Amino acid sequence: MIERKERKPYWRHTKWQMLASLIPFLIVLIVLPLYADGLNHNKFLGFPLGYLLAAHGLFLIALITLSSFVNRQDAIDHWHGAHEDN
Amino acid sequence: MTFTPRGRLINPRLGIYFGIFASGFISLVLMLLMFEQMGVSRGLLSGLMLGGALSAFLIISVAGISREPIDFFAAGRRVPAVYCGLGLAVSTMGATGMACLAGAFFLIGFDAIWIMSGGFAGYVVMAVLLAPFLRKFGAFTVPTYLGRRFDSRNVRIVSAALFSVPTLLILAAEIGIGAKAVDWLLAQGPAVATAVMVLAVICGLVFGGMRALTWTGVATGVAALLALVVPVAIIAVLLGYLPLPQLSHGPMIRGIGRSEAIVGMPIGLQPQLGLLLPFDGFQPVFKRIAEPFGAIGPLAYSLATLSVMMGVAAAPWILPRIATTPGVYEARKALGWACFFFGSIMLTLITIAVFMREYLMQAAGSSIAAPPDWLRDLVTQRFAQISTRGNQIGVGEIAFDRDSILLALPHAAGLPEVFANLAAVGILAAAFAAASAAALTLAAMLSEDIVNGLNWQPPATTIRLIVVRVMIVIVVSFGGLIAVIAHGDALKLLLWALALTASAGFPVLVASIWWKRVNQYGAFAGIVTGFAVAILMILASESRLIELSSVLAAIVAVPAGVAALVTVSLLTLPPTRHSLELVRDVRVPGGEILYDREMRILRQKERRRT
Repeated sequence: MIERKERKPYWRHTKWQMLASLIPFLIVLIVLPLYADGLNHNKFLGFPLGYLLAAHGLFLIALITLSSFVNRQDAIDHWHGAHEDN
Repeated sequence: MTFTPRGRLINPRLGIYFGIFASGFISLVLMLLMFEQMGVSRGLLSGLMLGGALSAFLIISVAGISREPIDFFAAGRRVPAVYCGLGLAVSTMGATGMACLAGAFFLIGFDAIWIMSGGFAGYVVMAVLLAPFLRKFGAFTVPTYLGRRFDSRNVRIVSAALFSVPTLLILAAEIGIGAKAVDWLLAQGPAVATAVMVLAVICGLVFGGMRALTWTGVATGVAALLALVVPVAIIAVLLGYLPLPQLSHGPMIRGIGRSEAIVGMPIGLQPQLGLLLPFDGFQPVFKRIAEPFGAIGPLAYSLATLSVMMGVAAAPWILPRIATTPGVYEARKALGWACFFFGSIMLTLITIAVFMREYLMQAAGSSIAAPPDWLRDLVTQRFAQISTRGNQIGVGEIAFDRDSILLALPHAAGLPEVFANLAAVGILAAAFAAASAAALTLAAMLSEDIVNGLNWQPPATTIRLIVVRVMIVIVVSFGGLIAVIAHGDALKLLLWALALTASAGFPVLVASIWWKRVNQYGAFAGIVTGFAVAILMILASESRLIELSSVLAAIVAVPAGVAALVTVSLLTLPPTRHSLELVRDVRVPGGEILYDREMRILRQKERRRT
């Protein structure tokens, strides 16, 4: 169980981790499709680049955001002693 | 039982069980392929496929019979992250996501990607903002969590009543699409098909509840993935590409783009907030596949993505399943797996749509007297209609049924009938998973939070389980009735349900964890305002009072809900000490599950009083 004096630092750390995970992801989510038209003129692996990034690229970015969040948050939990006992 | 180590909880034989199921399913398909080559009739083949798949799901669900509330509502908290994620991925958008989205990708190409992106973003947002804390709280339904968190019966009852509406919409949509797939397999009429669907869901849920739902969810996920991935890989090889078509169909898209330019398909540009969604019926292809913003405006695209994101993140038919994982770390990982499986399904659907377009481009320009064989086949099966005035079939003169693209592709590629049956079983599996998830959530909310909403102490185990089982039967029958009587457009129902969830649920859920000042009055105001504004927007859009598409209702309703939440919270008393302690403990992963602790304290108070 977490110690009393670790609660505030833990929550501050968690809050910053939340912002660091969500804000870049949301920016990419909104901005990337807006440029898809221009990017479609280039090709990558045979795909029109705009379509590739908006569909496959966003999938990869979501997965990477999620996995890095899970690992970082677990490290934060262990650093402050807030992790579960199993 | 609160500090039990994870290793003891999880069943180590799960992989073996689902390996047996997957091998059985594949063997069934291979056997039916052999039967088809030997000349068995089509009706018998589809009946065997349907019967085999349904009996497998029902055997798994009956084997998962539950006798304790912890098993019935939270699967004993023993579901590993991968299995939980697969179940989540299939039941987020279910068969509506599979069949209707495949059609949408085929008809409007790039402009349907926002639904998929919203799904991914929803999982990311849920994993970061909501899931770990709701798992730490461990409540069986979302209104129970809200009620205990704000220490208010009103919030519990009102949120249960209002969250029931989007869940019911999803239930009706999924039963409708599932019945369509069953109808195609059985050919006995929509009423019989809906009855089969309703009975299957009832039998699937009534014995085991969440425990049955989780394990059949995994089985249906495996079946749906197989049904999607295998035919598309075969068709890719037939067309001359590598068998991983999700990554290799790039040159095909560019080829289609060149054909579209030759044929002269228009490149449109929608106004900023315009949104054209393909309806459920026959419609031709009218825009190029890779061109963005021909059927949806740029601003509408971003706003619609955010709306689906918030809807998926706060979806009351997904959130209680987070409570089935053994711990908070597992809950976060489960959402990562959900994102992975959901993305695989969606990318495969896009590939299917691209292949269908390739066949369409090949058929365009053929003469009306001698259309390609597969096109004639599609018209006989009522997946497509040709309406041409001249001698040649133009691209815009073949109208496709939006919800049948998954069934049409195996026919278009000339694959044996069994692959079309496999696609139908895949749709049925996804519909079964999503309808069961929605039905269990709805029944749990009605029985725990409305029938028993005035007491904090849950009733005795026997009564509790009987009430929820009766509710399951009532709810699923009602959902089936609605699906038969009111033929809604399933995709629209899904998007409305997500908009309602986003407006009513998302602000309150996020605020309940991340803002300490929110109190019960603010929560009540937030839920009611968000829901009311969303319903008004949807009704106004559908009756053409305003120009905005009803799918975008959340972009007005969510700010309204947030404003109501914040203002009322700041104007009324600060929250109680009990609420503040709950918030403080819900933010830390370690320690006792808060719902169990609350129930234990309630029982002690009862004992001290008597």
